Amino acid sequence: MAADTTTLVSLVEEFVSGLQDNKARDIATAVKDGKFTVLQLVEALGHSLTSSQPHTRARGVQLLSDVLQECYANLTEKEVTVLISFYENRLKDHYVVTPPVLHGLRALTKCTALPSGSAVSMLRSLFQDVHVQSLMLAERSCVYNMLINLMETRESELKGLGADFVFGFVQSMDGERDPRNLLLAFQIAKSIIHRGYDLGKFTEELFEVTSCYFPIDFTPPPSDPHGITKDELIQALRAVLTGTPKFAEFLLPLLIEKLDSDVQSAKLDSLQTLTSCVSQYEHKDLAEFLEGLWVSLRREVFQTPSEKIESAGLTALTALTSCLSRSVLNSESEDTLSTFLDLVLKDCKHHLCEPDLKLVWPSTKLLQAACGASNRASHIITAAVMPSLIEQYNNRTQCSHRRTLLEVIQRFIQSVKSSQPSESEETVFGAFRQSLCGIVFSALSETNSSLQIVATSVLTSLAQQAGLLLDSDVELAVDHLTRLLLTEEDDRVSLAVVECAGSLAELHPTVFITKLIPRLKTEIFAEPMEQDNNNREASELHSHHAMRQRCLSALAAISTQPSVVHESTPVILEVLSSAHTGSVIFTVEEVVLACHSLQRIAEHVEDTEESGQCFHGVVIPRMLSLALQAALQGEGSTGCHSPLAEEKVLTAMVPVISTSCSRLQPMLAAQTASKAVSLFLDADVSFLPNNSFPANIHLLKAHNVFQKQHEGSWTQSQMVCLLIGCVCSLPRNVEVPQIDHLLSQLEDMSCTCGHLLSYTSAAKCFAALVNKRSQGDSLDTVIQRTMKRVCGELDSTSSPVRLQAFTLMVWVAKALLLRYHPLSTTMTDKLFSLLDDAELGLMAAEGFSLLMSDSDDVLNRASHADVRIMYRQRFFSENSAKLVEGFNAAPQEKKANYLKALSNIVNKLPKEVQVTELPALLSLLLEALSCSDQGVQLSTLSCLEPVLIDPPPALIQQLEALVSRLLVLIGSSAMNVRIAALRCIRALSGFPAHEILPFRARVLRALAQPLDDKKRLVRSEAVQARGEWFLLGSPGGR
Amino acid sequence: MSAGSRLENANPVIFQRSGERLLTASEEDEDVHDPIDDREIFDLIRSINDPEHPLSLEELNVVEQVRVKVNDAESTVSVEFTPTIPHCSMATLIGLSIKVKLLRALPDRFKTDVHITPGTHASEEAVNKQLADKERVAAALENSSLLEVVNQCLSTRKI
Amino acid sequence: MKETLSLVQKLSAHPDSRCWFVSWNPSGTLLASCGGDKAIRIWGREGDSWICKSVLQDGHQRTVRKVAWSPCGNYLASASFDATTCIWKKKNNDFESLTVLEGHENEVKCVAWAPSGNLLATCSRDKSVWVWEVDEDDEYECVTVINSHTQDVKHVVWHPTQELLASASYDNNICIYKEEDDDWECRATLTGHTSTVWSLSFDAKGQRLASCSDDRTVKIWMEGSESRQSDVSWKCVCTLSGFHGRTVYDVAWCPLTGALATACGDDGVRVFREDESADPQQPLFSLAAQVTKAHNQDVNCVSWNPKEPGLLASCSDDGEIAIWKFHEED
Repeated sequence: MAADTTTLVSLVEEFVSGLQDNKARDIATAVKDGKFTVLQLVEALGHSLTSSQPHTRARGVQLLSDVLQECYANLTEKEVTVLISFYENRLKDHYVVTPPVLHGLRALTKCTALPSGSAVSMLRSLFQDVHVQSLMLAERSCVYNMLINLMETRESELKGLGADFVFGFVQSMDGERDPRNLLLAFQIAKSIIHRGYDLGKFTEELFEVTSCYFPIDFTPPPSDPHGITKDELIQALRAVLTGTPKFAEFLLPLLIEKLDSDVQSAKLDSLQTLTSCVSQYEHKDLAEFLEGLWVSLRREVFQTPSEKIESAGLTALTALTSCLSRSVLNSESEDTLSTFLDLVLKDCKHHLCEPDLKLVWPSTKLLQAACGASNRASHIITAAVMPSLIEQYNNRTQCSHRRTLLEVIQRFIQSVKSSQPSESEETVFGAFRQSLCGIVFSALSETNSSLQIVATSVLTSLAQQAGLLLDSDVELAVDHLTRLLLTEEDDRVSLAVVECAGSLAELHPTVFITKLIPRLKTEIFAEPMEQDNNNREASELHSHHAMRQRCLSALAAISTQPSVVHESTPVILEVLSSAHTGSVIFTVEEVVLACHSLQRIAEHVEDTEESGQCFHGVVIPRMLSLALQAALQGEGSTGCHSPLAEEKVLTAMVPVISTSCSRLQPMLAAQTASKAVSLFLDADVSFLPNNSFPANIHLLKAHNVFQKQHEGSWTQSQMVCLLIGCVCSLPRNVEVPQIDHLLSQLEDMSCTCGHLLSYTSAAKCFAALVNKRSQGDSLDTVIQRTMKRVCGELDSTSSPVRLQAFTLMVWVAKALLLRYHPLSTTMTDKLFSLLDDAELGLMAAEGFSLLMSDSDDVLNRASHADVRIMYRQRFFSENSAKLVEGFNAAPQEKKANYLKALSNIVNKLPKEVQVTELPALLSLLLEALSCSDQGVQLSTLSCLEPVLIDPPPALIQQLEALVSRLLVLIGSSAMNVRIAALRCIRALSGFPAHEILPFRARVLRALAQPLDDKKRLVRSEAVQARGEWFLLGSPGGR
Repeated sequence: MSAGSRLENANPVIFQRSGERLLTASEEDEDVHDPIDDREIFDLIRSINDPEHPLSLEELNVVEQVRVKVNDAESTVSVEFTPTIPHCSMATLIGLSIKVKLLRALPDRFKTDVHITPGTHASEEAVNKQLADKERVAAALENSSLLEVVNQCLSTRKI
Repeated sequence: MKETLSLVQKLSAHPDSRCWFVSWNPSGTLLASCGGDKAIRIWGREGDSWICKSVLQDGHQRTVRKVAWSPCGNYLASASFDATTCIWKKKNNDFESLTVLEGHENEVKCVAWAPSGNLLATCSRDKSVWVWEVDEDDEYECVTVINSHTQDVKHVVWHPTQELLASASYDNNICIYKEEDDDWECRATLTGHTSTVWSLSFDAKGQRLASCSDDRTVKIWMEGSESRQSDVSWKCVCTLSGFHGRTVYDVAWCPLTGALATACGDDGVRVFREDESADPQQPLFSLAAQVTKAHNQDVNCVSWNPKEPGLLASCSDDGEIAIWKFHEED
């Protein structure tokens, strides 16, 4: 022990005299290891602590504090008591001693063994003996941390100090300037307020000492190591200022004053602070400031050119109104809400009568902000404004005025949407129902299309007000919508009408079932005028077609409720069958539209047993049956051609089937798949309606390129695309029966068939099934077999089915790539090698686009394909080197294929990946810009443009090359290239100004040329780009 | 706009913006020459910001398509603009913004004339003469505070 | 005997900017140009072509509007939108900035040396015309500030032989000044143009003055014969209208051939000839030659070489200088 003491003394000596700071750590370790106690250390320090030299004393205390910093957790209560009284005493010492004393005290505040009463005594000494703001930054921070630590663990003791605690804190932080310390001080102030410390008579002092920082004006120095942002300070201070209604009388006048500031950020902060504080307040806290607040809010919303300020002002008004609405009315007190709303109405209402002046909109927005705040506010405001708006509307004659008024009305109705009344109360618009319906119906009958469009959205809003419209109103509305659907030729109006019908049908399905659907059906099947070869007839024919188109899309839009679907789908199916039989003439486009409508219904209908049954039990069998009949009829080569054998129609049918299979009733989908497989493999037609089919159905055995077959057989083979719909979009847990047989048939067809749609569809179908097939030997066998066959064909340049083999390979490559199958590399490597192929090189380059992009029928997430996240990045990082090597090694005339492949790949990469990968590829991309192939130029430009918005440093280093190449391309002979190049140049103007300023004169000169381009679209891009470059480095610009 | 100062015309009449020009098939055809027409010039100037209001010159009806005349073959453009009130002190500034926009956006073969719509401003002649004097316009654009306001009028508004 | 203007050479003088003015030195060997790029360039002939001999930069903070050679050819004065006039002294083949004349409130628009070389006149948008005196030590002193115009003064020009000064203004008028008892006074105001008068030019003998204007005309003014001793009286004897499509920015009377050249905002350069048989009190001018697209943009200035008959320089908003030869057609 004696020896240890000697060691200790010598360590102390070394620290105190020799300024050996690391000795503190040695001692701390020794104390932690139990070699000495802290009190032994104090003893050993004896001399230095009583030295006549303040600096020696300070050094001694520093050693002790450093040690405490390390081992405060091990101290006993007795040791703590001794240390505290020692430190409290030292606070009275020379000022150079104070910093280490504070560090020691801070360490002690973290002790769990802190005896009761010591927190109070520490703080009393601190507040009494230390003037915090004369301390250095680190010591001030020390004081705040002491407070924070003690507030964390000794709350009740501190509260025992009463208002003295608050006063002590106020004095400590008064004058603080460092943002880091301010964050701490605001944290303390927030705790004082939120944890219910007694503010006593120091409420105003606490407010003053914090609010003097409002609004926060702080710009962190560049490369600030502390990373404190203005926003952090704003939020921390706001939490303090808005924390208690006790501050209301001080805060509100301050906000009114700051709102008058010229500084935008001060206005914004004031408005947001107002929004935040009123959530804590009651009406009595606000009462005396309401008028002032309103005047400021109104001024901001009326005058500001900034949307941010406007929206903050409106939010504040809503918050203010909600606050007033919360107050409980009693008979004596005045109703502050209605007093306040009277103010608002007085200043805003009259502007609503001037629909052509600027202030109509700010006024509407203000009233609407108040209106949406509470049910009571809605009633007061609407009661005040609606009658005059309605009267105005009815008296005005100018369409533009009426439209504005209608838009204003629309905003009021929408603002009330968010606050539904309870059942007992009358709906806000109940009293105006009749007049509003009158206005809407009259507007729908106008010839002005924008008025009609606004009217449809008002109608939608009215319908969404629960319990407002009567059945008779809805019926009348449906009549109007029907009339517009049948007669209105303006696309924008019919789009709005269709949308409105959709919303209304969701709420009132019955009216649509009984009125709209039968009427549309009649009109759709009405034959157009007898055909006569003059122009008038042609235009009538055209409008008849447009009417059918509107009816079909309306049928789709209203079909979200299963009950409606039950009525609407038969009508559409009848279009298909009539088109097939020819009983009513429909054009191919009309049949395609009918399919689109079915698709839309399948996408939007609620997934119920009923709707599933409708699609799987009725729609799909019916479509397959009709398509099959059409195919067989085509084979008969009687010359009579059903539109249902058209490629366009078939391709439109696929998504109807696949959407049903992917999202409606998996059990039923499984049955659909199973029946379809039987149909395609075994010619089992039993599930098809009207199944009187001949025996010679061979859907998957058709049209071999080697054999001369009779003409129409592709009409059967192309039906394979419908099989895609039935088996490729099933959820992954749904089994496809006879899968191996099916795969082998599909492979065969895709490798031998000569008909483009047929072999491509077979390849896609094969690929989609492979993608979902579970991992294992049987899958690997299938892939290897296919690979062998495909490579065999590709390697034989004389093969007549190279194209077919290529198509299958690309699709299978995609299927495997998406699921990270190890064999995908074999396929993609083959694709790379084909870039040099004389015949297929260009297609191989395009093949990469297929690999990287989302395909819309198969192999996507909607069809439950196995798609791993970031497969593109993975593919890119594994293959970009190959591409660069290949490019360097390729003969000159083949280089373009590599560049095209590259731009196809990079184009589809997510932006973040592009940015990180770009440095490695930049030289190649720049090369691609100089490539003479316009396709390569275009795709490279379109991949560059988004990257330019937020340029990576690598790009900035290559500015000279980039600018030069872009400037060359604005003279391209292809307008798309010129446009894309100009867009890139425009994006360049957003680069750091000092980087691009040297190019300004040159770019402006070069951009003068395209201003006179012969194409308007090019000129318009040039104008925008040049405008931005002019603003660069110019006052008021950038 | 500072909070204290008052707008000369605090509640001006607002006009509807015209929609975007509809794209025609011939505009997408590489081989067709699209002449510069009135609408194209109007599209250049209609979105210029008013120096006072958060509104475009089109919304304030300061510029209208009928007051824009272009002759592509002869390379001349003439624009008349209508100040919102006859004593509008911003008239010269608005005219300057239109002039500068056209200088930046049109091929330099064009001769552009910017005038006040006859009879709509108290100092019509003086303003017209100033706008027509290219030496004064050049000197004005070397004045950075003036250029700053003009540039703000020509910036895509983002506040 | 048909005459024509043929292009000798085009020079890209002030790229990405406009070229406002060109001026020949008295011996006709050097051409000075100035422009919106704040620079002055000196051009000289080398072999068959004209090349840039030196660039005078950093003298001005803004556009250099005009330049003028002293009659001895050793000094060059430049007037700028930065409200100053700079005097440059020729040293061997280079120029150094000698002094900067300050005093105008804003843009200085023109500067001109009197034939004696002892006086210099400047004018500005501040509506004033200043006359400066030069002593042997190259010290400049302002001797008079004249405020006879009500709007900015666009141009000043000295009489070729007498100490008589003329100025043109945005107020549509021309003023003629003479010294009287150590003070310069406006002795005549020539009214007639209906818009800004942009430039003026005396004929070789100084008997007549040509002016050009935004009203698209050129006017010829002649000193009245009556009351010669004290008052000066000038009257308009001829107006050339219908020739120019836009503002006429400059007019120049060739001291050697008597041909009158104009620079116009319609991009054209034109040369007029006087009908020598006409009554001198009622002169007639006819268009002798014109190039309608002499430049791609407005032509700002035309200047005849003082020694080589028919050699004409012009400059334009497109930043280019063109050198022309006016001669009889072959």
